[in-house]
Amino acid sequence: MIDRLVPAAPLLPPTAAVAAGIAAGSWWAIPPATLLAAGALALLASILLAPRMPRVALTLVLSGIAVLGALRAAPAPLADDHLARRAPPRSVTVEARLAQEPVRWAPDRTRLLLDVLAMHAGPERLPASGRVQITVYGEIAARLGEGQRVIVDARLHPPIGYRNPGGFDYPAHLRRDGILLVGNARADRLVALAPDTPPWPVAVKRWAVSVITARLPETSGALLAGLLMGERSQLPPESDEAFRRAGVYHILAVSGFNVALLAGAIFAGLAMCGVPRRGAAVAAAAALIGFALVVGGQPSVLRATLMGLLLLAALLLDRESQLMNALAAAALALLVWRPGDLWEPGFQLSFAATAGIIYVTPWLAAILTERGWPAWLATAVAVSLGAQAAVTPLMLAHFNQLSLIGVVANLAVVPLAGIATMLGMLALLMELLSSALAALLFETLWLVLVVLRAMVSIAAAIPGAMAHLPAPAPVVVVAWYAALGLAPPAVASTRARVVVEALAVVVAVASIWPWLSPTEGMLRVTFLDVGQGDAALVELPDGPRLLVDGGPGGARRFDVGERVLAPFLWNRPVRRLDAVALSHWDIDHSGGLAAVLRRFHVGEFWESGRPPSGAADTVAALGRSGAPRRALAAGQRLWLGRAMVTVLGPATGPPVAANDQSLVLRLDWRGVSLLLPGDLGAQGEAALLGRGGPLRALVLKVAHHGSRSSSGVPFLRAAQPLIAVVSVGARNPFRHPSPDALARLEAAGAHIYRTDRDGAVMLETDGRVLRVTAWARGTTDTFHLADPENTTAPG
Amino acid sequence: MPYTLPQLRLLILLAFTLLVGLGVREWRAGFPDAAERFERFDREDAVSPLVPDADAAPAGAAPRQAPGRPTPPPPAAPAVPGRVTPPAPATPVPVPAAPPPPAEPLDVNRADATELARLPGVGAGLAQRIVEERERRGRFDSPEALRYVLGMGPKKLAAIRRFITVRD
Repeated sequence: MIDRLVPAAPLLPPTAAVAAGIAAGSWWAIPPATLLAAGALALLASILLAPRMPRVALTLVLSGIAVLGALRAAPAPLADDHLARRAPPRSVTVEARLAQEPVRWAPDRTRLLLDVLAMHAGPERLPASGRVQITVYGEIAARLGEGQRVIVDARLHPPIGYRNPGGFDYPAHLRRDGILLVGNARADRLVALAPDTPPWPVAVKRWAVSVITARLPETSGALLAGLLMGERSQLPPESDEAFRRAGVYHILAVSGFNVALLAGAIFAGLAMCGVPRRGAAVAAAAALIGFALVVGGQPSVLRATLMGLLLLAALLLDRESQLMNALAAAALALLVWRPGDLWEPGFQLSFAATAGIIYVTPWLAAILTERGWPAWLATAVAVSLGAQAAVTPLMLAHFNQLSLIGVVANLAVVPLAGIATMLGMLALLMELLSSALAALLFETLWLVLVVLRAMVSIAAAIPGAMAHLPAPAPVVVVAWYAALGLAPPAVASTRARVVVEALAVVVAVASIWPWLSPTEGMLRVTFLDVGQGDAALVELPDGPRLLVDGGPGGARRFDVGERVLAPFLWNRPVRRLDAVALSHWDIDHSGGLAAVLRRFHVGEFWESGRPPSGAADTVAALGRSGAPRRALAAGQRLWLGRAMVTVLGPATGPPVAANDQSLVLRLDWRGVSLLLPGDLGAQGEAALLGRGGPLRALVLKVAHHGSRSSSGVPFLRAAQPLIAVVSVGARNPFRHPSPDALARLEAAGAHIYRTDRDGAVMLETDGRVLRVTAWARGTTDTFHLADPENTTAPG
Repeated sequence: MPYTLPQLRLLILLAFTLLVGLGVREWRAGFPDAAERFERFDREDAVSPLVPDADAAPAGAAPRQAPGRPTPPPPAAPAVPGRVTPPAPATPVPVPAAPPPPAEPLDVNRADATELARLPGVGAGLAQRIVEERERRGRFDSPEALRYVLGMGPKKLAAIRRFITVRD
């Protein structure tokens, strides 16, 4: 296969070598000097060996190139005046330039990317450098735009993210963009130093967005902005979700599709008006460069533009164009320019989909045509299938999404999106000439956009349109791509066919494995890192699963349910939760449950029976999920598989503060006991002690994130926990956990784990040995429960 | 023949697009609610554009005509009673006017589906869903709690807010 592919795409092996080098370089930190020496050695050896052993020399050259890739990816040392080098004070006044247009992601929240120019300390102005991302709260008085200089008082800190198994590494993502510090600021502490005079590409983009918003109603306008410029920020979440479910989200990103339409239209249009071919090609190339500057530098845009330019150059030079080679050239250029992009989903998806279309589609189309399909249908289906096959492992790895309807939905949606894109470009052009005619074009466009949205909604509404599956193991990914690469030659060669079949078996078995491997007779309790809030998953050895609280979430804030809980559960893999318990309705416990109720089958919803306050999204999701609601009260006992759940609170009685009415659960399994008191405060603890329920427990979830008023001495004396887990967010405004509460826990003899420092805290026990893993630290502590001082009898 | 065939095709296509645009503009001007419903069909608080009767006008008022139907864009729209643009039509225009002010606000915790369906913008389907949600929740703690019912958007709730109440 390689011998066939390389003559057509000579740039493919060096590009793959660079990518491999970048990947290896980020896994193993090898000193640059060693790398340099190894690379030089490999290249020298290859020069000597080239005449006699060309194959060996080739291998050496490629490893030399890989070393170059690794060197390129090695992090550059920070400048002396980099902000991250100074221990940043709590609040710092920085003078900076906006690196991109402000992103307004909620009514009073704006995200700014700043290139720091200087730091002000009193009257002093110290030169400084570095890139920071800040969120500004409130209405910003000045109009801000890319390139503008501002002074802002900001609180800066290193990014943290949510540190859970299989979770998204937010700090690494930011680091790849050169962002080492994030922070926040108040809108009234931001001053613009210069008027907003954006560079021309930004001005063009703003003009286009303003025309679209003026001419089209909101949702359709937002869709067109996505189609034309990849500008999705205004798209309502329902539409966003529908496009994902239907597997057609890619049309909302600028890609080869837009570039091909733009270049094709200009080229054909000019050619039709009698412009010579070369002139038309030059004009199309100029338009492409302008387009790329306007829509910005996402990997998919750059990939498509580079490929488009190469193909147009081939046309100009009367050379035959090789798509695969153009793709490799684009990848090489991007990787050399921004090596970190290799890890970005946008980069991976864009290149994989294009490679799939170039490599797999012709073979698939040939097969379908042989079976008697009409040529147009065969090509359309083959394009859709080829792209889908190439991106499937990536979509699963990054988003746990497998669109089952996508192949079919694309057949209808892509042509319509093409029409809408062409019409949109035409209408924007027309706006410059005659606004009356442009208005008519926008009317037609509206019709097309509504039909397009209707098709997407229908596809998304089909049950099972999208499956959520765990991220594939590396072996599955490798086997999948190897099988895909060998599939076309397998038509001719029996040996290749056997290999493909074997690989398919590997993929199938390794994909099914996580569903079959049970919990190995272990009780597992995972206190997830959900920032400031609570969420704990209890998995019993015989199958049942209980989720207690869901962390913060809901509309217009970071939705932990959608972004942290759901991926964690999909990766587990969990599809069904036998019960979801909610301690009380505060948003840092209930908010994330909205997404859980929407996305997972929930057997029962346990609550304290107190009326909901706030958390409207969760209440609505609960109503729609159809999960039976069960109001629990002190004294009840329930079986969850072989574990017994005892309800310790709340008791009926005069109403007290919401926290003190938290649902308090106790779980017993084989002598291991777990106490989950929600946000119980002093009053609630006193009531609990008064009722005299069994309180002694091996593991205690510390009440109310370690607040001062919880975890009183009498309560801890009764509970005597061996392990105490504080579920709390770093730098939370409530100053949780309080040093007092931590001291009381320490005095009670508990081993304390904290999600703000340890990330997810994972407990695993078979009843004799308890292992506690602090995910962010990567450490595991083992406790032998047989030791007399460690045992706790269920009360 | 001054044009080549591709040029001619392009011209035809452009003219046709403009013609469709004219049609759509006329239709949107004539049936603004219908157009609004089509635009918002996939939003959370959407009212189905294909089933206009589900949320018909309050009982008693004359039923609204055509506006919700997915009428193909008529280049020259017939003068149906629902059209608003021609000034002073012969027949009085049945706009979705305010319903007759009820004697006293309706208690959403006691009203049955028929009573609920008399509220402006609430059809039999929505009324049924309100009753189902009430059974599921026990009662509505406040009129705002109606928002949890599928299809009860902020605009619709605002429209019926002064006709409803929650008594203890």
